[in-house]
Amino acid sequence: MNRTSLRRIGESPSLLTFFALLLGFLIGAVVIIATTAPVLNAWRQLFSSPTAVLHALNVTFDNVGAAYRALFVGSIGNPSSFAHSLATGQSWTATLTPLSETLTYATPLVIASMGVALAFQTGIFNIGANGQAILGGIGGAWIGSMMHAPMIIHLPLTLLAGVAGGVLGGLIPGILKSFAGAHEVIVTLMLNYVIAFFLVYVVQSTPLQQPGQANDISRTLDHSALLLPLFGAGSGLRVSYGVFVAAGVVAFGWWFLNRSTLGFAFRVTGANPNAARAAGFNPKRIIILVFMISGGLAGLAGVVQLASTNYFIDGGFLIGSAGIGFTAITVSLLGRNKPAGIVWGSLLFAALGVGGRTMQARTGIPLDLALIIQSIVVLFVASPVLVKEIFRLRAKAQTVQLATKGWSQ
Amino acid sequence: MRVELRGITKRFGSFTANDAISLTVEPGQIHCLLGENGAGKSTLMNVVFGLLHADEGEILINGESVAFSNSGDAVRKGIGMVHQHFMLVPVFTVAENVVLGFEPTKSLGRLDAKAAADQIRTLSARFGLDVDPDAVVENLPVGLQQRVEIIKALSHDAELLILDEPTAVLTPQEIDALMDIMRSLAAAGKSILFITHKLKEVRAVADVITVIRQGRVVDTVSPSLSEGELATAMVGRSVSLTVEKEDVVVGAAVLELRNVTVRDDRGVAVVTNVSLDVREGQIMAIAGVQGNGQTELVEAIAGLRHVESGTITLGGRDITNASPRQILDAGLGHVPEDRQRDGLVLSLSVADNLVLNAAAKAPFAKGWNRRLAAVRDNATALVERFDVRTTGIDAEVGSLSGGNQQKVIVARELSRDITCFIAAQPTRGLDVGSIEYVHSQIVAERNSGRGVVIVSSELDEVLALGDQVAVMFAGTIVDVVSPDVGREAIGLLMAGGGQ
Amino acid sequence: MTTTPVNGRGRVIAVLMMALGLLVAMAFGFGSAGNAHSVFTFAPVNISGDRPWHLGDLTVLTRWWNVVLGLLIIALGVETWVRRPKAALARFGGAAIFFLVALLFWASRSPGPSQVPFVNVTSVLTGSSAIAMVLIFGSLSGVLCERAGVVNIAIEGQFIGGAFFGSVIASTTNNFILAALGGAVFGALLGWLLAFLAIRYLADQVIIGVVLVTTMSSLTSYLNLQVLTPYPNLNIGNTVATLPIPLLDKIPLIGPVLFNETGFFYLAILLVAVVSFALFRTRWGLRVRAVGEHPKAAESVGINVARTRYRNVIMGGAVAGVGGVAFMATQGQFQPDYTSGLGYVALAALIFGRWTPSGAVVASVLFGLSAYLANGLQSYSVPISSEFIGMFPYLVTIAVVAGLIGRVRPPAADGIPYQRS
Repeated sequence: MNRTSLRRIGESPSLLTFFALLLGFLIGAVVIIATTAPVLNAWRQLFSSPTAVLHALNVTFDNVGAAYRALFVGSIGNPSSFAHSLATGQSWTATLTPLSETLTYATPLVIASMGVALAFQTGIFNIGANGQAILGGIGGAWIGSMMHAPMIIHLPLTLLAGVAGGVLGGLIPGILKSFAGAHEVIVTLMLNYVIAFFLVYVVQSTPLQQPGQANDISRTLDHSALLLPLFGAGSGLRVSYGVFVAAGVVAFGWWFLNRSTLGFAFRVTGANPNAARAAGFNPKRIIILVFMISGGLAGLAGVVQLASTNYFIDGGFLIGSAGIGFTAITVSLLGRNKPAGIVWGSLLFAALGVGGRTMQARTGIPLDLALIIQSIVVLFVASPVLVKEIFRLRAKAQTVQLATKGWSQ
Repeated sequence: MRVELRGITKRFGSFTANDAISLTVEPGQIHCLLGENGAGKSTLMNVVFGLLHADEGEILINGESVAFSNSGDAVRKGIGMVHQHFMLVPVFTVAENVVLGFEPTKSLGRLDAKAAADQIRTLSARFGLDVDPDAVVENLPVGLQQRVEIIKALSHDAELLILDEPTAVLTPQEIDALMDIMRSLAAAGKSILFITHKLKEVRAVADVITVIRQGRVVDTVSPSLSEGELATAMVGRSVSLTVEKEDVVVGAAVLELRNVTVRDDRGVAVVTNVSLDVREGQIMAIAGVQGNGQTELVEAIAGLRHVESGTITLGGRDITNASPRQILDAGLGHVPEDRQRDGLVLSLSVADNLVLNAAAKAPFAKGWNRRLAAVRDNATALVERFDVRTTGIDAEVGSLSGGNQQKVIVARELSRDITCFIAAQPTRGLDVGSIEYVHSQIVAERNSGRGVVIVSSELDEVLALGDQVAVMFAGTIVDVVSPDVGREAIGLLMAGGGQ
Repeated sequence: MTTTPVNGRGRVIAVLMMALGLLVAMAFGFGSAGNAHSVFTFAPVNISGDRPWHLGDLTVLTRWWNVVLGLLIIALGVETWVRRPKAALARFGGAAIFFLVALLFWASRSPGPSQVPFVNVTSVLTGSSAIAMVLIFGSLSGVLCERAGVVNIAIEGQFIGGAFFGSVIASTTNNFILAALGGAVFGALLGWLLAFLAIRYLADQVIIGVVLVTTMSSLTSYLNLQVLTPYPNLNIGNTVATLPIPLLDKIPLIGPVLFNETGFFYLAILLVAVVSFALFRTRWGLRVRAVGEHPKAAESVGINVARTRYRNVIMGGAVAGVGGVAFMATQGQFQPDYTSGLGYVALAALIFGRWTPSGAVVASVLFGLSAYLANGLQSYSVPISSEFIGMFPYLVTIAVVAGLIGRVRPPAADGIPYQRS
């Protein structure tokens, strides 16, 4: 390959993402090596025999390989069981469970990430997606469990209630930024905690609490408010009708960003707020709108999670490592805020999360490794110049796009 | 101190900002560096001050070659600089700003505030630069802030003082005071490198003038030359920017300003009681030294700045404090002063920028949908018609040259259905070819019966284009005259004379 | 933030304060039965041995004390209305403390619903000061970083990393000085990483900070399962002993709260004094602040912007790392998601304290008190939910950045990467 074509690839964002992934998995491997007793022991005996190096390498590759193989098998599937199912037509459930789980996990993630990405494209960092998703879950739980109606009415209303919850959650930072100049990063960051407390209050001290329960658990959604499994409850596969919601959101996101007039206004505002104002766009209105849409999508993600997977909410709903709203930030960074990138990014991170469970079960390496890899990948994605330097790619002129502009704006 | 530059060359990528520049500043001399915007003056000064490294050439101080790795080195060698954008920390006091980097300290690294204040008082007294050491800089007027910059340079025992476009932000009184300061500093043996593109100032204070153009020294001349001769040397062409203008019947007023008052970001009234009529088929040129309220006036007309009092009417419609959208729809075409800040989205394509303020309207949109085919057709046609040099309509506007970026804005605004066209500094930083093209388009617009407003701090442009010249000074329109009264008369008005 | 005057917004908070005062007077005051009384005890819980003093219980009539507190809050609101926006933050802080006190009176009243018919003031204050101490470390870290122009949103990550390594070192050596050093070194490493990516590679500081937090929380959670669980003696959960200061610890009330504390507590107080002095009185501080306000101006007088920022962010990381150890040393065994968002409360305290060390202390005390009460109130069967007290620091911070309470101005170049021209 000659130099110019290499250079061209070096400037391609997808190659950078690929290298970031590579680095993430490499560092993940280092973490495994450094913390797994058999591997360490093998290296400790490095000088005991002439073949010890080979042995140590062997053990290393075995352990790292086993972990990463489990990640793959747990999230996508085992090639041999695919072959077996294809040949015999049997045990499809077992064969497809990993894929189904990955899709189940990715469904709300795609939706929330689209919301975060729309905000990023408008120059807004919505760290509050998780709080907005929780509000969506609360809204959905309220309508889904306290109201009773046939599915054709109940399910859409439940989803809408989720959207409404998210929109409300987005309106607060939107209005505060628009009219008071409050920095959205601080406001949304703080709101996440306010909402987490509010969640506990709602499931413990309001009629939403499961009757007869003293714990922080909500009522369970009516059957008519659920996003049911795609292949029927008896299929054993959890992937739900939520995937259609997610597909709809991706289609909407693509249309919105590339084909709609409002999306154009958003992108102009994100890229140059001054020019946007001079061109007749109303930045205050746009900030509020983008927060409503971004929050609404986050809320939808929350209610989809609820209606397709959880069926009820508790005080830990989307809290901590279950916070899809936080993962959504990393996904949209990974996917460069583009719909296609977000689909791939969500599938990848969902696969890591789902496969991580298999990895933990089979090799004893904690699921958190998947989260470590995710974080490191995004760390590299957010520092493109560093990746270019590591791989000796020619750095493009140093134009760095920043999502945030410092506290003082 | 004698400072000599020998063959200084500085390149940015393929662009050569300074090409083998040599000059010598003698002790006690006011040496003026004259050149247009973009001629390479600021780059050269940043090299001298150690902020940039020259690719070739050397700097000699008193005959000895020096190399600066940062500005601290330059300061230690006796070079001080007053930057165009002040290098002052707004929330610090005068004393803190002056001593920053060279702080007098007591034990434990404690600041010696008293020593700092004393130092300032001494310098103030010695050079007649009166300023309170305990004042917080952001509360001081611009002229005083500049004085703080000068004190700062002097406090580091600067023997060569670089003044980078020091008068751009000053009022005439402040400019006069600055000139006096420069003369007294020179009398005290300090050397001064004075960077400007204003001819009048050059002739007033300079001992020697080095003219640079496109990164090269074109001539070293004496201030006894006339302004015309200096200008010719600076721009390298005959400055008679006469534009062919046919006679047009002047129609009704399209843009009417009545007693308009506007405040700037700090709440200071920078436009007071301005009234002006612009008629169909007329170019109203607003002349004036930058910073006399022109920028804010245009922003107010375009709806980007609040009108404190008074009314603005466009085509019979009251647009006072209407939104930019309403004003655009009422038929205003606006070429903003800072095109990259207000006029373009550099990361978007030429095609998108050509519909930036019309993207949601027919034919570029239908309902909520954009019609990309119409956007592309429009771009192809406009790129052709306005001779925009680009690799294609999908190229990012940021990849275009300044002149072509300006053509994109002009093309966009003129392609809309407008009744009045207002352009602020329409040819700033453009090459000659682009200037002529933009001028011809502006005149064509006037010929087709629109009202046109041009704001320019370049007197030649004002004279060449304007059917009427409104001169702004200190936030008011001093007079509206015919360009035939001549540059001296208009120059006098711009300087606040005739009031 | 913005240059718009906040007069109108200052009035908003004044009205809110008056409404709060009215609420306190009506609901907590006249809402209590006329004969209800609240009992405060002062028996210290963490002092063994002889005490030369004994403070009797303080019994007050709930209704009238709360009416008085309500009127005080109203008075502060009126003052804010009249003299806005000067010192609105301080007045608001005062009103908030009066409110919390009134709430305590009301919650502990008897006859009433309370299961615990008294409030132990000493243990409330010691419990709050333990949280406040950690917040002080965190917000000081923020002061160091942000005054130099780098946003450190990764305080939470430095806390949790410091707590993890602090626990391992304290468990193996039982030496908390070593643990503190280890936490400092680890925090400094994280600070260096943040600085490296933000300064050298111009990465977005907020994004890097957020990702560093997730990295640290997943890494420590991983190591907890993979290393600490199989080797429990690496995480035995020993806590640090207090170092009573002779004589001073015998002072009633103040003694047990301020002078019978851990070394970490004294270190926090010392650091506040040192940072405050260094930032505002020394050459170093002047240069740091110049870099955070106007890096170009700093560079033009020969100050190395990148080096200053590196240094400060590394120091800030070290301070936050010690904060993590301090948390672990008072709370015990390391667990996943150990610091549960305290790092973000510290960020809030930094903002509420207007980027100054002394302001950060005031904010940390206020937030520490409310965080402690959010947990503590549950034991009083209060009809209002403790969750709303828990929200307090976050809501206050939102109000502050929205300019509702006075005006805060961050360092002008905070969060903006600096590129040499």
